[in-house]
Amino acid sequence: MNITQVILRKLPSSQSTFLRINLTCSKTIFCQKSTNNPPSSSSSSSSESSSDSDEIAQKKKASKEQMAEKLNNLLQQMVSDDYTKRLDLAKPSNKRIKSRKPEEKVESEEKQVLNAVKDVAQSIEGDSKKIESELLTKLLNPLDSERSATTLSDIIKGMKIEREVKQPEVNRAEQVRRVLQNISTQTQVPQKDHRVAPREKFRPRPVEDVVFEKIDLFGSESLGIFNDNSKLEDGPQLKTWSELAKKDLKLAVTHPPANYFQEMILWTEQGKIWKFPINNEIGLDEEAKVYFADHVFLEEHLEPWCPPKGPIRHFMELVCTGLSKNPYITVETKKEHIYWYRDYFGDKETLLRDVGAIPQDFSMGTSNVVDKE
Amino acid sequence: MNISRVLSKQHHQLRRIKLWTYLFSTSAEEKIELPRRIPRGPTDILRALESTIQRDPTAAHYKYHDDPFLIPKSNATKRTYAMAREAGKKAAHWVRSENPELFNHKECDPPIEAFFPKVVFDENSEVTEDDLKRVIEKNQVSDAILINKLLAKQGAEISADTKQGLLELLCYNNGDDTLNEEFIEERWFRQSSRIRERQRKIWKDGHVAEEIFISIDNPTAEAYSAIIQGMAKYFQVDRANHLFEEAQQKGLVLNIDTYNSLIRVANFLKEGYELRWTYVINILQAINSAGIKPNLGTLNAVLHTLSTMGTSQNVKDLTLKTLRQFKDLGIEPCLGSWYYVLITYCKERGPKSNILSYILDEIEGKTFEIRDLTDTSFFVTAMDVSRNHLNDLNLGKRVHSLLLKGNNYNLIGDSFKESVYYRHYFALLLKNIPLEEFMQEVYYKLVPNIYVPEPSIMEEVLNQVEINGAVEYIPKLWSDMIIFEHSNRENLVNRVLNLMVNAHTADETDLAEKFGTIAWDIYTSINDNEERKYNQLSFTGDMLGNIMTLALQNNDFEKASTVMEKLDKGHTTIVGVPKFEALSLFVDHCIKNKAPSKAIRCIQYASDSGFPDAVVLGAKLNEQLTLDKNHLESLSKIVDLRVL
Repeated sequence: MNITQVILRKLPSSQSTFLRINLTCSKTIFCQKSTNNPPSSSSSSSSESSSDSDEIAQKKKASKEQMAEKLNNLLQQMVSDDYTKRLDLAKPSNKRIKSRKPEEKVESEEKQVLNAVKDVAQSIEGDSKKIESELLTKLLNPLDSERSATTLSDIIKGMKIEREVKQPEVNRAEQVRRVLQNISTQTQVPQKDHRVAPREKFRPRPVEDVVFEKIDLFGSESLGIFNDNSKLEDGPQLKTWSELAKKDLKLAVTHPPANYFQEMILWTEQGKIWKFPINNEIGLDEEAKVYFADHVFLEEHLEPWCPPKGPIRHFMELVCTGLSKNPYITVETKKEHIYWYRDYFGDKETLLRDVGAIPQDFSMGTSNVVDKE
Repeated sequence: MNISRVLSKQHHQLRRIKLWTYLFSTSAEEKIELPRRIPRGPTDILRALESTIQRDPTAAHYKYHDDPFLIPKSNATKRTYAMAREAGKKAAHWVRSENPELFNHKECDPPIEAFFPKVVFDENSEVTEDDLKRVIEKNQVSDAILINKLLAKQGAEISADTKQGLLELLCYNNGDDTLNEEFIEERWFRQSSRIRERQRKIWKDGHVAEEIFISIDNPTAEAYSAIIQGMAKYFQVDRANHLFEEAQQKGLVLNIDTYNSLIRVANFLKEGYELRWTYVINILQAINSAGIKPNLGTLNAVLHTLSTMGTSQNVKDLTLKTLRQFKDLGIEPCLGSWYYVLITYCKERGPKSNILSYILDEIEGKTFEIRDLTDTSFFVTAMDVSRNHLNDLNLGKRVHSLLLKGNNYNLIGDSFKESVYYRHYFALLLKNIPLEEFMQEVYYKLVPNIYVPEPSIMEEVLNQVEINGAVEYIPKLWSDMIIFEHSNRENLVNRVLNLMVNAHTADETDLAEKFGTIAWDIYTSINDNEERKYNQLSFTGDMLGNIMTLALQNNDFEKASTVMEKLDKGHTTIVGVPKFEALSLFVDHCIKNKAPSKAIRCIQYASDSGFPDAVVLGAKLNEQLTLDKNHLESLSKIVDLRVL
């Protein structure tokens, strides 16, 4: 049966179901026959392939002629049965279709069977012709040869051989055509065997009955391409590209807001509203990086150059106090302010020393620097 | 007295509490541990508040609720209203860009940059490299192209970094401006159509991106990566592959996403399944030998290619092997990966597979963030598989509960995917749970604010109503059908009419009255719309017969007569004839109402329509009503009374 399945697969579906039905039909007919006709050695031998036809012929001759007669009678009976049943089936509808259709169908079917068999035979290694013939016999005689009975087709085959002993081997295509013809005539007989009918019905199995294979998602073996994970490193990165890709991902899950909070989240992310929690330093991002002490304690900027006492020190301390209380300018500007005084006093250092504003033993670092330069 | 007792009791309690706190504070003399400050982002408070609100399925979506009179109930109106709102936004944008001088005031301090008028560049603008950097950062493609041109004209040299950024921007967008992020509704309603048109070559050959690539002498690996990714993204696959080979020959190590993009287009490059897989394997080996770490994109690209390779068992084995390989690499699959696995295993014409249940075992109860663009296809596909592939109610419910978990609903995709998802969900439930449960638990909850059933689903609902004989739902369903604009679909209207006629409402006058109203509603709406040119529904004889029967069942003889008149007048134009039972019922009612002339006209109609039993009607009329001479005469013209 495996080989027939292979062949069936090669055929278009409509054809294959046709054949499948044929096969089952021939089986049922065989059953009916076997009850009518007790198995005999001659009929079993006739089921063997046509290549050893001579042998069969001799055996046949040896057997009693009664047997042949019996078979002939039986056949006659079957043919006549067939005929009447076919009459029952005949429909009065369209004569043209009725007369033409079955023949055409048979023609194309047998051709397709032949082609399919040929394809299979060629796809298998070995003597393709031999395989082809084996397949054909297997296909046309789906029963095990050990069984001690035979199908109708084999009987016919056997009979023919008996009559035409000297004739050369019958053309395979011819054989197939004939057999198919027989089978097709048989299929026209409506199925009366109730044991077969329900089996036919069950062929398209409902989904619930399908037994699913168990799948272990990660239980398979690996592709085995990346074996050493530790060696692998991140390759070069495309900054702009990955930014854009990230943005696209975000947009794919940004849906119309479903409540007011979502809308506010969206607006916040789009930068349309001030950020929560609201405080009065919002937006002062640069300034947030500066510690408040840098704003308030400015004396440290005096230490390197300012005289420790005297009017200049006094003046500069006042400047620092003023600056420390000014919230509107940055620390940088405050420093610049102080450094301006440093340079200013530095320029006039000698004069100031003469005046006594700077102690005699003190020298402002800046003028030294200036001098050195 | 009472009050004082209560007060004294409370006092005692207070003292006890004080005592306890005293005792405790002394006994627990441990150092106080201040919790560490948790830094909060600007949206954290909003998110916390938002998480307390749940979607009320019986309320309209937030975007519609401003105007209760205009709450949309059908898919078409939902779309129209949302897009109208968006159009208003666009109009505002247009006004601002047309009259920028009106918007130069700075109202707020600190200033809000999003409200600043957009900087416009033209041929005469003075530009610098910083401008170029800024527009690249802001994803303004056409401005970037223009500035690049202006810089070239000025002869200014731009740094390699900026050039690379510009190349990436152009490759990513194929040199086109993208839809403004602002327009969420438009994106929500359009995405599905865009995906369909993406399946062909749309890369602009010889466009600015390529010019820039050529202008880079001795291109770096990054430049190659950008241009190859761009070409692969827009399906210029042959040249992408060509450039890839060129880069390989130069021994450059490309970006991992570049390899991924090439794997992703393998089905365009290689025709046969075998060849395709060999190609994929080759690229994977190239990644390995280049010593780059594969990422999630690699996994998804391989799975994508496998999903295009037919239904054979081999492909499924390879899929599992791929999953295992990437698991070993420590790459967790995302929903998009499972989407590809699903479409590989559950093909329409392939064998059935319940891999979905194993996938659900893996991901059930988790919440997901988006990690790949295909993540949004998972839920709709999973529901499709549950319905069409397996018809498994249990799986469908599991998928649905996963969708409702946490913020997973964000991954539903867009409006189109959402309604396809619900279409599958509804169809699955309809087939598998009792109608009553369906109506109570699902239909009343989700329709119409979350989902509006398409005509096919409505038909399925009516089917179930018919099977269950649950005609009491018909009034509700019909009013929904009017709202959803299904009332001009002939099959649905006929369905409803047949259902109502076949229902035995004799003992329920309430229902009969409602059915009568519905029937009359159908009649008037068709009658009034007959002049309409398009989408117009016209009467059939059967339809009118049903309407007449329903009117009569409601004892509304007047309306039935109007319908009969319509039938009679339109004898030549109306297709088909009503059922004989309808006509017979009408004659019965004529007899009851003593209206012989109407009855005679009906009999005339019946006989003209070729009902042989018109004679019986005539005889009945003659028997039960004493006819005057005129009537008798006209009756005998129609039917031969002597025959009986």
